[in-house]
Amino acid sequence: MKIVLLGMNHRTAPVDVRERFAVDETGSVLRKLVDRPEIAEAALISTCNRVEVIVTTENADAAQHVLYDFFGRDLGEGEGPTPGVLSEMTYLREGRQAVEHVFRVASAIDSMVVGEPQILGQVKDAYRDARDAGVCGAVLSRLFQRAFATAKRVKNETGIAQRPVSVARVAVDLAKQIFEGLEDKSALLIGAGEMIEAALVALHDHGLGERRVVNRTQANAQALADRFGGSAHALDELDRLLPGSDVVLACVGGDAPVLTRERVERSLAGRRGRPLFLIDIGVPRNVDPGVHELDSAYLYDLDDLQEVAAANEEERRRESERAERIVYEEREHFEGWMVALQAVPTIRDLRDRAESIRQGEIDRFAGRLGLDGPQVDTLEQLTRSIVNKLMHSPISRLRDENDREAGLVRLEEARVLFGLDHDEPPDETLDDDPDEESRA
Amino acid sequence: MYALQYMAAAFYLAAGVGTVLGLSLPAPKVLSGARWGLALGAGVQFFAFATLHRADPAPSLTDIGYVIAVMAWLAVLVTLFLLTRIRLPGFVAPVAFVGFLATFAATLGRPEVAASGDVGTKIPHAHVLLASAGLAALGIAALAGFFFLLEHGALKRRRSVARSVPMPSIEALDRVNRVTLAVGFPLLSLGVLTGALWLDARMGRYFGGSLHETWMVIAWTIYLGLVALRFAGRQSARQAAASAVAGFAFLIFAVLGAGVVS
Repeated sequence: MKIVLLGMNHRTAPVDVRERFAVDETGSVLRKLVDRPEIAEAALISTCNRVEVIVTTENADAAQHVLYDFFGRDLGEGEGPTPGVLSEMTYLREGRQAVEHVFRVASAIDSMVVGEPQILGQVKDAYRDARDAGVCGAVLSRLFQRAFATAKRVKNETGIAQRPVSVARVAVDLAKQIFEGLEDKSALLIGAGEMIEAALVALHDHGLGERRVVNRTQANAQALADRFGGSAHALDELDRLLPGSDVVLACVGGDAPVLTRERVERSLAGRRGRPLFLIDIGVPRNVDPGVHELDSAYLYDLDDLQEVAAANEEERRRESERAERIVYEEREHFEGWMVALQAVPTIRDLRDRAESIRQGEIDRFAGRLGLDGPQVDTLEQLTRSIVNKLMHSPISRLRDENDREAGLVRLEEARVLFGLDHDEPPDETLDDDPDEESRA
Repeated sequence: MYALQYMAAAFYLAAGVGTVLGLSLPAPKVLSGARWGLALGAGVQFFAFATLHRADPAPSLTDIGYVIAVMAWLAVLVTLFLLTRIRLPGFVAPVAFVGFLATFAATLGRPEVAASGDVGTKIPHAHVLLASAGLAALGIAALAGFFFLLEHGALKRRRSVARSVPMPSIEALDRVNRVTLAVGFPLLSLGVLTGALWLDARMGRYFGGSLHETWMVIAWTIYLGLVALRFAGRQSARQAAASAVAGFAFLIFAVLGAGVVS
């Protein structure tokens, strides 16, 4: 059984192409795919950044053709690029490369933003959909389970997901370094645009307490306040609101800074040393840079936040090298399991062969020696015990998951040594020859 | 004689190492275990003190190693209390290492034997315990102040997000500073007062004029000024942190250094 994967992602295809292949309801298309005789199991990962089909098959070459056909006809609904272009926009992975790829995807090493947390949930959804559609068997189930375990290890053993890489999350992290908690903190939002909203969403998600919005156009302030359960105020109320605010987010138009050093200094006088965190995401800047020199004021502008985000992203990339080692280890384990799985038919054949020989010999000698019932039972026990003991070591070696290459060789050798691929019964004349042992 | 102290020191060391490991891995369970290690160390050290106190002859209440160990133990108790109220990742590590050093160092020398005058009155005990508790609380204030200055500097240099080990927020550190100053100064004042009463009981006067007493009075006066500034809202959090560090350095000199210099 082999694993084959065909996919396209943010690196290989532009978004207008990817969106043509995105699938909301995967069950019906997967069942259609598994109806093809070349495909045993299938799963489909469909997110805004990638579409990937993973299948198991006995015939990898045939499966590749089926997958390209499936991509073009069923996913692209015939409206996708021509087959030539499609092959340039997709990537094909087979065997260990496919396994590693799935582990990388689940661990967010292959994501556009390395370490992003959403992809693991999306891979889990893909697994659940395939299972619910009845197209996910033992191999893909094991593959996904190991992928989740790999993702967990990568998250716990590396710093790949620790540092924030979006400006909004960087602002939240900074707020946490300044404040013990955000629950009892009051935010003052100067402006009501998209940037303010994005930062507010991040702070809101981390339990920010009170929100007050001031804006030149009070209707916009009211709309934003209504969405996040805050209050709207006019811009001329700024001096009154500032002393009671812990976090200030500023992004309004205008050439002159809205918050001058003097204005902030006055507000700090009424705060009894409590820190004030100011995030200036306006261009041109809305807060006088001199504010940062004040003892209890911590001012970060858009450049500062982007610089931190870029540094964190670089750090995540460095951590992804450590994550690759984990992926390699987990892939080795998975391949060991695959070898053990491939050993199942050989072990079954070996046991069947041993049992048929044992049974045949008992029948032959029981009649020849004229044994009665209890004597035959004893002989049954004796021979079964001998066979089990003889088979124990070879079967254990065949089941060994630790060495994939050696395991495959052992499987081949076992079939040849025990003649499992031949139907002829063993040569009985040798057994009957009393001089055989002495000749040997 | 020192078995319990060695055990307490071992718990403190394990708590310190556990905190460093827990933060750098990061491993929340290891961090939680480190807290328990600190608490166990404090428990064992309590029994160590009780055993020493009942020993014959008991160590003198003024034995420097013994007093430092008591201070460290009280600092651990203050920290354990603070940890139940304030989020302070990483704060266990320095306290645990100080606890380890103080507890272990107390076992190295031969302790001074209690003088006959020490026994039979509660004043010396009250003085040692109150002054040590005050010093311990002010020591925690200084530690929080030190961490605050580090954090504040990093935020001002805009390098704070690049760190890999989580630290307490500056607001939490400022709260620790405020609480321990509010608790530590009255305890120190009571320690000074009971010290004067002890002196009166032994020498018939409240102030002996020794270098230690003179420096202690100066240190207490400085702290009085710092407390007044802090609680009158005349200091920023950074100034309060710097004051706590400088004030404690002066206090330690008054308690320990002045004796050495003289």
